[in-house]
Amino acid sequence: MKHSAFIFILLIVFWISSSTDTLAKSSYVLPYPSVMPGGLSYKVHLIWETINQYWYFGDFGQFEYNLKQSDKYLVEAKTLFEYEQFLLGVDSLKKSDEYFKKAPSHLRQAAKNHKDISIKQKELRTASERHVEVLSQMEKIFPEIIHWIPEKVAPTDLPLHSLLYSSIQIRSNYE
Amino acid sequence: MNKWIFISYVVFLTIFTLFSYLFVDGNLPYLQFLFTDFAFKNRLITTIAYSTLLSLFFGYYFYFIRLVQQKKLSMGNIRLLVIVTIGILLLAYPAMLSYDIFNYITTAKVTYFYHENPYIIMPIEFIHDPLLLFTHAANKIALYGPTWILFSGVPFFLGFGNFLLTLFLFKITAALSFFGVLFLYYKLHKDHMSLVLFAMNPLVLIETLVSGHNDMFVMFLVFLGIFFIQKNKFTGWLLFILSIGVKYATLFLFPIFLLSLFYKNLNKKSFFQLSAIMMFIIFLLSPLREEIYPWYAIWFLPFVFLSGRRLFIILTISLCFGLLLRYIPFMLLGTYLDPTPEIKIIVMVIPVFLAAVSYLLWLKKSFHYYQ
Repeated sequence: MKHSAFIFILLIVFWISSSTDTLAKSSYVLPYPSVMPGGLSYKVHLIWETINQYWYFGDFGQFEYNLKQSDKYLVEAKTLFEYEQFLLGVDSLKKSDEYFKKAPSHLRQAAKNHKDISIKQKELRTASERHVEVLSQMEKIFPEIIHWIPEKVAPTDLPLHSLLYSSIQIRSNYE
Repeated sequence: MNKWIFISYVVFLTIFTLFSYLFVDGNLPYLQFLFTDFAFKNRLITTIAYSTLLSLFFGYYFYFIRLVQQKKLSMGNIRLLVIVTIGILLLAYPAMLSYDIFNYITTAKVTYFYHENPYIIMPIEFIHDPLLLFTHAANKIALYGPTWILFSGVPFFLGFGNFLLTLFLFKITAALSFFGVLFLYYKLHKDHMSLVLFAMNPLVLIETLVSGHNDMFVMFLVFLGIFFIQKNKFTGWLLFILSIGVKYATLFLFPIFLLSLFYKNLNKKSFFQLSAIMMFIIFLLSPLREEIYPWYAIWFLPFVFLSGRRLFIILTISLCFGLLLRYIPFMLLGTYLDPTPEIKIIVMVIPVFLAAVSYLLWLKKSFHYYQ
């Protein structure tokens, strides 16, 4: 009886556990907003980013890393602008620009190392088009200049349109 | 051991090896001279031939087990059988039943040739690479742990960029791991029966020596860990952790290793029985990731055969047969879509069910006999 019960349970478990799953990959999309500046978790996030820079070794790895970071900071900038955190948003936008500028150089290096970069070039082009789309939307939504009055610090003028125009230029003329 | 049976076994292994070359992929440029397309155009004949060869393989297996029971198989005989089996099956075409060995090479190439992180960059991203013509999981990042990625550099570099040499070096890695496991197996448990049950098991031989799966490398690290843990705890644990770093499955052995550390009275038999149960659980959980692959049985087989539990052993051997039958639906139908997944389950479960029923009938008969 003990043996019958054991075998019966074994067969049932066996039957249930036999299944398959599927894999899928979407086309190029910008990420959801990540951790926002201001808290301790953001500082941890920055450390994680630095570590990740080494994890993404190799020409393609570095290309992916810089493009991913550029995407992330662009989304961060847009979100901060929407919440009227313009000073922080401008910082994020500048970071996104810097990362974007670095991406093509890693592709050139990959080409020098005899790697076929045609797919990655296409990826960069699609990414730049999407970035320009988002930046153009931002240009329409947000005012040309923001007079920013932070606490305990002298007020500054933030030329948003000029910054956004410069970001668009970086993405349009990366080649 | 009967001389003629031994000769027939050698002939059988040679036929099995030659049969494997009927599966040479038309996209594999390095073996074009051996490409016949036979297995893909004559599916019914191929399936019948495979089933027959598989049955014969198990026939020899039962014969060797019987010889051990009758104390007619000496250690010298076992050694000879193992060496001959390794020597012949090592020459078989490795992608007869699974393309994993190509994944090992491709992942090693991403790491050591292209100098990219295989956990981020997929092989498919290196368009025009000749390996993409026949590598089946090129659209996935590395499926294996860091220990394997690091170790795969050895056969990859020793191959000096020659594909066939690299391919057979990966097979040699599997064979050496198998040899190592057998050595440690006998060192840990000086029993001819458990050694033959494991060493001559058709699933172990096909998945390790023909297909060259790295699961035997995992088990080599585990057994080396078990061997060392009695002498040098640090080395033992290090080897065990390295084994987790190949395929993660041996993480399920962690509680058993921990138990052996604190519970000094845990004897070898209990250790192996608990290990067999834990590794069988992870085997059953494998569909959560993808599906039950036959070579995953290598995770629990060595422990089951060391457990000394008759019922476990009978069910395990029947399961091995069932698992190797899982290749039949695709071999016959040429598709992974319906009804292949359903047939795979049926052919896998039937031998286990039949073995279980036979065992119960035998128990019942013995019970009446003693009454």
